[in-house]
Amino acid sequence: MTFRMKAAVAAAATLLAGAALAAPAVHIVLIDGMQFIPQTLEVKPGDTVIWRNKDPFPHNVTADAKGGPASPAIAAEASWKFTAEKRGSYPYVCTLHRMMKGTLVVK
Amino acid sequence: MNILTNKLALAAAAAAFSLTALAQSAPDDAQIAGIVVAANTVDIEAGKLAQSMTKNAQVKAFAEQMVTDHSGVNKQAVALVTKLKVTPAESDLSKSLKQGGNDNLAKLKTLKGKEFDKAYVDHEVAYHQAVIDALDKTLIPNAKNAELKETLVKVRPAFVAHLEHAKHIAASLK
Ligand SMILES: [Cu+2]
Repeated sequence: MTFRMKAAVAAAATLLAGAALAAPAVHIVLIDGMQFIPQTLEVKPGDTVIWRNKDPFPHNVTADAKGGPASPAIAAEASWKFTAEKRGSYPYVCTLHRMMKGTLVVK
Repeated sequence: MNILTNKLALAAAAAAFSLTALAQSAPDDAQIAGIVVAANTVDIEAGKLAQSMTKNAQVKAFAEQMVTDHSGVNKQAVALVTKLKVTPAESDLSKSLKQGGNDNLAKLKTLKGKEFDKAYVDHEVAYHQAVIDALDKTLIPNAKNAELKETLVKVRPAFVAHLEHAKHIAASLK
């Protein structure tokens, strides 16, 4: 391989890695048996988080902190989508069943 | 009725509930299904009455949630037993739940205002505690079908959350 080709390959690899880093990911939090699964989720700014309710009655996702998730009631078998923007740690509860707790970490 | 006799009556009712649960022989899956449906139906009916009677926003929101949550559990239970080709059957426990529910409705219908709110919420505390006891001592241990057992285990925390919620409101009504 010539020096030029090597440089080109390296440049392409760097580009690819950069693209992989920048591509926003989609994460799923299941609500099942009155629990948020996983209970703590780490995401990057720009990522999407989908809460999917598998329980037979509604729940919600309500963070105290501004910039955190704040959903309406999510009906049985329904989902709710949130795009993480601001970095931070966002503990949240279901205000209908306050024992249900989770944390979304955006870093 | 003063507060002390009211409390004593509630405690007695709750004790009678769990004694009935213990005394009866192990229910089969069809009877467990019947108990689950009866338990939810009783609380849906009380919730509907409370929604129409109460003027307290907190009590109204709680009653609405009870109707929604317990209707959801019933829908799921009926879907499961339909799939399993099980027909919900009567048992001593399902009958005593229905009787307790009817007695509660009859009593609530004679009350108004704060007295109504207090009686409704106090009964919700006793009722959810009694159902949790039935789940732990009778329903979950005796469920044969794995899916039925799993459904009961998964739904138990909802009854615990409702119990805590009802206790919280009961304390605020004092
Ligand atoms: Cu909830």
